[in-house]
Amino acid sequence: MILQSVKMAWEAITSNKMRSFLTMLGIIIGVVALVVLVSLVNGATGAVTSEITALGNDMVTVNVRDDKGSPIRLEDMDEIASLEAVGEAAPSGSLNATAKFGYSDVAVSLYGTTPAYYNIQGLNLKYGRFLKTADIENASYVAVLAYNTAEELFGKADVVGEQLTIAGRSFLVVGVLEEDTSLFASMIGGYSAYAPFTVESRMADEPYVTTLSVSPNGNTDETENQVESYMLTRFHQDEDAFRLMNMSSISDAMSTVTGTLSLLLGGIAAISLLVGGIGIMNIMLVSVTERTKEIGIRKAIGAGKKSIMMQFLIEALMVSLMGCLLGLALSWLILEIVTVIAKTIAFSMSIGVVLLAVGFASAIGLIFGLYPANKAANKHPIEALRYEG
Amino acid sequence: MASGNPIISMTDITKVYTVGGEEVRALDGANLTIREGEFVSIIGPSGSGKSTLMNIIGCLDVADSGEYILDGQSIEQYSEEELARIRNKKIGFIFQNFNLLSRMSALANVELPLIYQRMHLNERKEKAKQALDRVGLTDRSNHKPAELSGGQQQRVAIARALATNPAILLADEPTGNLDSKTGEDIIALFHELHRAGDTIVLITHNEQIASKAQRRIRILDGKVSEVGV
Repeated sequence: MILQSVKMAWEAITSNKMRSFLTMLGIIIGVVALVVLVSLVNGATGAVTSEITALGNDMVTVNVRDDKGSPIRLEDMDEIASLEAVGEAAPSGSLNATAKFGYSDVAVSLYGTTPAYYNIQGLNLKYGRFLKTADIENASYVAVLAYNTAEELFGKADVVGEQLTIAGRSFLVVGVLEEDTSLFASMIGGYSAYAPFTVESRMADEPYVTTLSVSPNGNTDETENQVESYMLTRFHQDEDAFRLMNMSSISDAMSTVTGTLSLLLGGIAAISLLVGGIGIMNIMLVSVTERTKEIGIRKAIGAGKKSIMMQFLIEALMVSLMGCLLGLALSWLILEIVTVIAKTIAFSMSIGVVLLAVGFASAIGLIFGLYPANKAANKHPIEALRYEG
Repeated sequence: MASGNPIISMTDITKVYTVGGEEVRALDGANLTIREGEFVSIIGPSGSGKSTLMNIIGCLDVADSGEYILDGQSIEQYSEEELARIRNKKIGFIFQNFNLLSRMSALANVELPLIYQRMHLNERKEKAKQALDRVGLTDRSNHKPAELSGGQQQRVAIARALATNPAILLADEPTGNLDSKTGEDIIALFHELHRAGDTIVLITHNEQIASKAQRRIRILDGKVSEVGV
């Protein structure tokens, strides 16, 4: 019987192609809006999230605001690093200064740190070496440059062995990092250089560690807890004395924002689907009236209420689902084109959003088909037969 | 007179309509018996209660009071769903304006009542073809109604009525929309079906057509009376 109803519905839909298509258009537009918007947000989120992850998602950063008379010293790093859930720990003092080479100069952020910083931050070397423990102990004036800093200052990247001045002091370049092409780096911008903590702290006149980062040994949450309790003990249980920051808390915040965004956009798209559904109901009501005679004939030769109801309900459902399929096809096309245009970000439809669209379209077909179908099923056979449209 | 079992047995059937606050007794204690294999014509002018009688015989409507037994089954205050099933199995409707579904081929139209019986595809096709064969339209089975003449359309409608092998064929002015020559052909077809054993009830206002039936019944002001043979 369902098969027969599908066949009948197909005949009815194809017998008035233009009208069926226009009816579907509402659903097509709704589905395209839903799928494309949600996929775009998801694609962008995915891209940004993977950037954050590449930055060293699991790193925990501590910012000391008030040392309460017991400042963290460089020697304390070992103690922090010896915490069970902590892998490595490194200070990262920073100083804004001007770097000069010959006649060119550039404003850089000079980070004072230790060798552990390299792994914690997930840096990669292009030329030379990173800072060594001996550099820290001897307070050697050596520097590692970011790729773009070297390019800007020297006009080339392979500058290991060159001398430059930062804030008037002469440094020997011992290494150059790999170029950072990530979205995040281009967002933040700026030029950076890395020097031993002992050198930088002297230059900044800040002998203590005010910012440090640690890498987790296992679970990041556990690392955060242990570092937090260490700091609390140190700073007399004052939560405001320091601030703990985690890359994953950034990405959490980010995903909250994008989640809200996709909900919002999806909601707007859902409204257009709803409008499409009303379009279906409208046309179905016209169709039921137009086909009153047909309903009368069917009833006279033995179609029960249920059969008529089924026929019109399936018709509404089919219009809706066909619109949904066309909408999905169109969405796929649009996303492919956007991917080509956007180059760096690949947008694709997730199974979830496809299922959401199909589910929503079916629900709309059923809900908005119910009233017209019921109206058709309840027509009195004698009156319906007498109807001359 | 025919001696078969009664197919239709009506006792004291009354149907009252309220039109504009006024009661109209469309059927007023009508009694009627039609036996298996009979060819009966029911004659009456418009407004005589003819349509109401047809609707009740055809189970499109139910009487307010009285007893109606169709093919051994008492038709009472059934639900619409049940009435639809009875119509499907026992009644073969033939209408004045054919009432075929224009989107479908002749064969599909004939299949329609069988679809509502949930009959399987092969059996359904077979029965529909047989029915079309009985009305002599085998070669037109794939034509749509618009591609057929009036007489051919009415033959398709008769085939549709025959397909379910109903207890009675109920024809309402079947020649009303046809020219007299084609009308005669259709009446001839009814006679042919009658000879083959089908029970036929023909409702008309045309005395000449009614006179060709084996038995005539007149309806006037809601009362049914036999016309002398």
